[in-house]
Amino acid sequence: MSDHNDVISVKGITKVYSDNSVPVHALQGIDLTIRYGEFTAIVGPSGSGKTTFLNIISGLDSCSEGEVWLAGKLLSSMSGKELSDFRRDSIGFIFQAYNLIPVLTVEENVEYIMLLQGVPKVERRRRVSDILEMIDLAGYEKRLPPQLSGGQQQRVAVARAMVSKPAIVLADEPTANLDSVTSGALLDMMYELNRKTGMSFVFSTHDENVMGRAKRLITLKDGRIAGEKQTTVTS
Amino acid sequence: MMIYVKLAWRNLLRNKRRSFIAGTAIGIGLAALICVDALLLGMERNMIDSATASFMGQGRIQRKGFQDTQQADLTINRLDQVVADLEQESILKHFTPRVLTFAMASSPSNLSSIELVGIDPASEKPVSEIDEVIIEGSYFSGENERDILIGDRLAEILKTSLGDRLVVTVSEAGTGDLSQDLFRVSGIFRFDISEMDRGMAFIRLVKAQEMLSIGRDVHEIALVFSDTESGSDATLPFWQKYSRFSNEAVGWPLIMPQLKTVFELSRFSTYIIGLILFGVVALGIINTLFMSLHERMFEFGVLRAVGTRPFSIVQLVTYEAGSLAVVSIVMGCILGFAVNYILAHTGIDYTGIEYSGVTFRKLLFPELRIRQFIEYPLWVFFFTILVGLYPACYAARMSPAAAMRRSL
Repeated sequence: MSDHNDVISVKGITKVYSDNSVPVHALQGIDLTIRYGEFTAIVGPSGSGKTTFLNIISGLDSCSEGEVWLAGKLLSSMSGKELSDFRRDSIGFIFQAYNLIPVLTVEENVEYIMLLQGVPKVERRRRVSDILEMIDLAGYEKRLPPQLSGGQQQRVAVARAMVSKPAIVLADEPTANLDSVTSGALLDMMYELNRKTGMSFVFSTHDENVMGRAKRLITLKDGRIAGEKQTTVTS
Repeated sequence: MMIYVKLAWRNLLRNKRRSFIAGTAIGIGLAALICVDALLLGMERNMIDSATASFMGQGRIQRKGFQDTQQADLTINRLDQVVADLEQESILKHFTPRVLTFAMASSPSNLSSIELVGIDPASEKPVSEIDEVIIEGSYFSGENERDILIGDRLAEILKTSLGDRLVVTVSEAGTGDLSQDLFRVSGIFRFDISEMDRGMAFIRLVKAQEMLSIGRDVHEIALVFSDTESGSDATLPFWQKYSRFSNEAVGWPLIMPQLKTVFELSRFSTYIIGLILFGVVALGIINTLFMSLHERMFEFGVLRAVGTRPFSIVQLVTYEAGSLAVVSIVMGCILGFAVNYILAHTGIDYTGIEYSGVTFRKLLFPELRIRQFIEYPLWVFFFTILVGLYPACYAARMSPAAAMRRSL
């Protein structure tokens, strides 16, 4: 069981890929808890298991061994449909390559999850309008993602991740494709949202900028937690 | 859900060239089906017309057993009542009495067995096309009761020509005594149906009745209906009504069962062609959808990651298949209509070609039916959806992490 203050609690998770019959240990016995409202960065070199860790704690992938509790729910006990619904309601995703749906407009991308949740149209439009205002993209509602810059697309991705008010936002290298100014602005925005809404953020990153803003830094190396520290953030 | 319909259409329009090519391929398959069906219907119509309009009629009344035995004394019972009733039939356009018997025709040079048919020239004219296929001489133009019309092939066999005399021998009804008469060849016809051109001769009805000693009786009444479909409608009460007094009324499908078999075979071949076309189309659809899926795998990963249920992914891909089907159906219907429209004006010239004992005597025109533009498109639509389920399930079963890993 997880503590009710823990948004994430993982116990002894391992992940073994056996592509081409050669087992690769991506994660090896990780124990970790992340509390509600934390602004946490998972850092480490390429191949250290950051993306695998995020995929497993979000239920996008399953672990070979161990338990993952997210927002008080044991992920392994859920069916595919329950997992989909759980991700829809409890997790916001931000990906390195923005991963917006290119044929949907900014407005449609942001409101998509609310559509799945069955939020009424008026409420959807209000929340989309509010969040686009907040991320400084008001007036871009009808644009398609390819008509936006990388930074703007990532802001739309942040809006999509947050508009349904999930318990936690998981971001896989969100600033990797952005220049330093844009990534700084994006981090400021997420930091503010974390501060104002109390939403938990977990990042995987290489970016010193991100590391510098995280309240907690967890270092992964060869699929194991190699270190952890609390930081003082200066925004 | 409307969002999936919207997504499906936008995804389809995303790669317009590919969607156009895939849609055209499916559309051509549909157009081919419509065209094959229309041509087969046209061919059926042409064959029925050739078989019925040339001489047989769309139906006939005979004495039971006459068809099998050709016995001269098996004439239609209660002829006057039958004729009186037929005159009152609103569904009937024309009818004509005939006398039929086997005979021997001999000229100074040769002899040949023939089917001798006694006809009433006036009432026969709207029923058969004998008058239209005369290539030499005329169609019972005078009052000479010894006029005889023979086919061009028979004329060759008998080495006879217009104006020459022939002796025709028949067996009288009842006694079986031989009866001979001398005729003058007043016309030579060519139906382009070898059996008729080689083995048939027409004389006046009264003369035939006299030769057979059957009084005013006849062996057959040939029928032409106002609606050409009536001849093949076995449920028509007409057939029952005239199958009394030991007589038998039948439509052309029973007179020429081989023709019906040919049509059934044609329909079966349509199904086979349809199956082959659908098989090719299916591979096209699967290929198109899979290409589209693999290009957008990360999108499916994202959709799944943000909480889209697997069933909704199936819905999305199925809607895409459905959208592709709609585009294809529009293209196929337009193409099918256009091709048939052109062929309906130009026709296809198969005249003189014999198929299953029937010679095409007119241009072949495709026959369009509303059914072809409803039934076949529905087949294509549901088939496309069905085929689309395979890539749809494939996309739905992909783990979100694997899907995103593939494209990133």
